[in-house]
Amino acid sequence: MNNKTLIFGNGPCAHCIAENLLAAGKDLVIATPDKTLHFSLSVDSGSVEILTDTRLVSCRGSAGNFRILAAQNNQEIARRVAGVIIAEEDQRKSNFSQYGLKASSNVIPLFRMTELLLDASRDPGIFPEVKKVAFLNGIFQESNPVIAEEIMQSALRLQSDFNLKTYILTNNLKVAGNGLEALHRETKKAGVVYIKFTDTRPEIHSESDGSIQIEFIDEITSKKFRLTPDITVVDETVVPSNYAADLSRILGVDTDPDGFIQADNVHRFTVFTNRKGIMTAGPSRIIQARDDQIVDAGNAALASALLMAGLAAVPENRAEIDKGQCIRCLTCYRRCPYRAITLNTRVVVEPHACERCGICAAQCPRGAIHIKDLEPASISKQMTTGDTPREDAAFTPFLVAFCCSRSAVQAGELSLCMGHKLPPGLKVIEVPCSGSISFNHIFAAFKRNADGVMVLTCHEGNCHSEQGNTFAKQTVAQITDMFLQIGFEKERLAVQTLASNMGTEFAEMVSRFEANIIELGPSRLKKNQ
Amino acid sequence: MTDKNVLIIGGGVAGLCASVELANLGIHVELVEKSDFLGGHAIGYACKATRNTCVKCGACMVEEKLKNAVSHPNIKILIGSQVQKISKNGRFTVNIHQKPQYIDSQKCNQCAICSDRCPSDGAILNGFSKNNIPFYGINPEKCLYLKDTSCHICRDECPEKAINLDEKDSKYVSQADAVLVATGFQPFSPVDKPYGYGLFKNVLSTLDLERMLKQTARVKTPSDNKPPERIAFIQCVGSRDSKLNHLWCSKVCCGSALRMARLIKERQPDIDISFFYIDVQTFGKDFEQFYKDVQEAVRMIRAIPGDIYETDSQKLKINFLDNSTHETLEEIFDLLVLSIGITPCKDSRELAGMLDLKLADSGFVSAGTEEASDFENGVFTAGTVEGPMNIPETMAGAGRAAWDIAKYLKPNGF
Ligand SMILES: Cc1cc2nc3c(=O)[nH]c(=O)nc-3n(C[C@H](O)[C@H](O)[C@H](O)COP(=O)(O)OP(=O)(O)OC[C@H]3O[C@@H](n4cnc5c(N)ncnc54)[C@H](O)[C@@H]3O)c2cc1C
Ligand code: SF4
Ligand code: SF4
Repeated sequence: MNNKTLIFGNGPCAHCIAENLLAAGKDLVIATPDKTLHFSLSVDSGSVEILTDTRLVSCRGSAGNFRILAAQNNQEIARRVAGVIIAEEDQRKSNFSQYGLKASSNVIPLFRMTELLLDASRDPGIFPEVKKVAFLNGIFQESNPVIAEEIMQSALRLQSDFNLKTYILTNNLKVAGNGLEALHRETKKAGVVYIKFTDTRPEIHSESDGSIQIEFIDEITSKKFRLTPDITVVDETVVPSNYAADLSRILGVDTDPDGFIQADNVHRFTVFTNRKGIMTAGPSRIIQARDDQIVDAGNAALASALLMAGLAAVPENRAEIDKGQCIRCLTCYRRCPYRAITLNTRVVVEPHACERCGICAAQCPRGAIHIKDLEPASISKQMTTGDTPREDAAFTPFLVAFCCSRSAVQAGELSLCMGHKLPPGLKVIEVPCSGSISFNHIFAAFKRNADGVMVLTCHEGNCHSEQGNTFAKQTVAQITDMFLQIGFEKERLAVQTLASNMGTEFAEMVSRFEANIIELGPSRLKKNQ
Repeated sequence: MTDKNVLIIGGGVAGLCASVELANLGIHVELVEKSDFLGGHAIGYACKATRNTCVKCGACMVEEKLKNAVSHPNIKILIGSQVQKISKNGRFTVNIHQKPQYIDSQKCNQCAICSDRCPSDGAILNGFSKNNIPFYGINPEKCLYLKDTSCHICRDECPEKAINLDEKDSKYVSQADAVLVATGFQPFSPVDKPYGYGLFKNVLSTLDLERMLKQTARVKTPSDNKPPERIAFIQCVGSRDSKLNHLWCSKVCCGSALRMARLIKERQPDIDISFFYIDVQTFGKDFEQFYKDVQEAVRMIRAIPGDIYETDSQKLKINFLDNSTHETLEEIFDLLVLSIGITPCKDSRELAGMLDLKLADSGFVSAGTEEASDFENGVFTAGTVEGPMNIPETMAGAGRAAWDIAKYLKPNGF
């Protein structure tokens, strides 16, 4: 079997992943648009191919067998790999405009100061005319511990090795990183002055001679101050690499709103993407300190080893497309969150990529997609009334709750465990993802004498299939519209969100729903009323 | 599958994640947990989603890891157990002591009858997850049978005959090829701070509040069981405190407290919430958006109050310096929530002694942050035993440790 892993990246994280995988005897391909590789590899137990000056063109196939097409000097390169790890660097954007400043000899970005201090270890006379240095940190926009650490390190060096007076102007000082509060104390001891802004903001003026004046009100004494630094250091925003947008688009993996390659979804912890076999590590997925990149590298290596181990089993009961029924509308191709559907001469499901969420089957306008045990017919067999009538009422409503296996099913079981009483007529129907619930499922429930139907799905942003919960809400909204038109009580169908640990909330939700249905009385669609 | 065996000490998120990863690699794991329940601190946390939207607190991921661990054939779980002695002669020989397991996990069906009928408050402990198996435990300090055999209601009433109050403790000897220390953290005990914790009824810690929200979904004032009108959160209790020599930010408390504050505000909009802080720490990718939202819902005050007093009606009087008026204000709250920090695990020192681990000045175990495998001795660490971490970081640390262990053990096919 192909056990090659392709790594995108050319920084410390990519390096560390490569060393880890080579040490475990795995074969690698490392690809980067850069002209040279910025690291050298010390381990030689696995084999490694290095593709510099190379950009990704396409990626087809699925975990275990990705077919990669890349371009190197206008030449096409094709490779087959089992897994892909994205380990791109981040980049910095200086925040001059936030402060109304322009770069000049005395207004410099943070990375420049870091560079100067690197040089300064050789030349201590590098700041001849300088007495005061001001750092601007997250005043108009929230900062992060990575930037805060660099600022504090620089200030400490200037203060203790160069005898300069340093000021850090900041809103929230981000010390939620390893060792940062200790560093903060050290800077204070060395004489670094912190000026904190909460309700006020400093006024920053560049004078005609290029000098900078910072006026502010000290929030503790409410006195007015003016600071005239010889050097003003402007902080930076950490953003994804330029290549990240291309990579995520071509690989079909989700990004967060800032463009980092990993959706903001807890199911992607630690280094996973929506696509099985494609991992994302280090600063390509999140703003991250150096130490954490090494941790991520270990996780990426682990994920790729586990991927290889897991590929041995042939997945069962995945989605299958009935080619006689398929009209190639490509709805499934667009909706599959895991990119499991590929287009050749036919539309087919890649079994190793399919997570069995059922979204495609529910969304296909022709009903051409089948997944064993998820068909409305087999699911409706489970819809049997519990026959314990309520003691306190003449009417025990039959309630069908379609529950997502990852959230609501778990919450329901926890609820019982916690000792909550659930409605006697409640029937929980477990579905792998609420996105698998189609019109037919819901109608089947009413046909099978349900007095009320609930769709209990994950919170927004917590759906393992990203959009399954949204599709479920749309389905419910459309049926609700229909009910309104035909004059059927829309209250009999409800959709709500839950997480696996919400036992108490589950009990509250179903009990409230039961009370509503008792008020409405039995459903008119019920047979032998 | 290999014949390699790894001993994992501590069944919190770190221990659970590492167990599952190693087990998936075909390595046998023995997971030793001191308390009656797996899951560590985080299994007790509430979901803090607001506007039907996940706020990425990570609590539900702990549920998932626990579920995966308890059903994995390669993981042997020992709850109520502690390592007594470790000797190394090639492999590790580990002596483990297990407390009596009064409730048979195979038989208990979580019906709650024992807990309902027990006359002694706190004698029957319960877990937080349906994957806490058994869901109940018996607290020997409170159980009347174990005190003077005067009561055995639970044993008699249990329909499954799952309770045996005469159960004795047991000893295990485990042979391990590697040991992972994942004993987690000690929540800061705020009794020594002048905030009246343990003294005044209506002063809670964030840990208490997490559990209250998980249990009852709403906040109540302990003294009268009614919803409070005004709540104050005080941040950095036991963190960033040079007097205590706690020169660290606990990293997780701003996120935990603000998410809970936001949740309370959504479910009980009439409650007024004030939030006392030094610096709000960034948490989560959606921090900017969340922070804006929370600033509208919660009154943010950048000051840490001094001493707290209790009024005659069990309310709490707080003095603090108001930034906008530069005056000392005095305000009354119904409930005070102390955002307690992460401090070193109590057993770190003892385990460090047994296993030759280095302790940092802070008391946390020094982590191996270097790239190379500097773990020739077969001892590894993961999670908050190394210092403050949130759940995702803990999971990542556990994954990395699992990988390092795998590299060290080199099971088949590796
Ligand atoms: C108030 C509060 C709120 C928080 N909220 C959040 C949040 O919302 N989101 C988030 O991401 N993080 C949060 N955190 C952080 C989170 O709790 C930790 O990241 C997580 O619990 C760390 O897991 P762990 O396994 O390292 O440690 P722990 O959870 O402490 O687990 C350690 C386990 O080891 C066991 N143990 C200890 N000693 C021994 C021994 N000698 N032998 C055997 N077993 C032993 C313990 O009984 C325990 O089960 C919060 C922390 C606090 C204090
Ligand atoms: S079931 Fe889900 S994962 Fe599988 S092909 Fe359909 S949409 Fe994709
Ligand atoms: S808010 Fe927390 S517990 Fe709730 S769904 Fe999101 S991560 Fe899970």
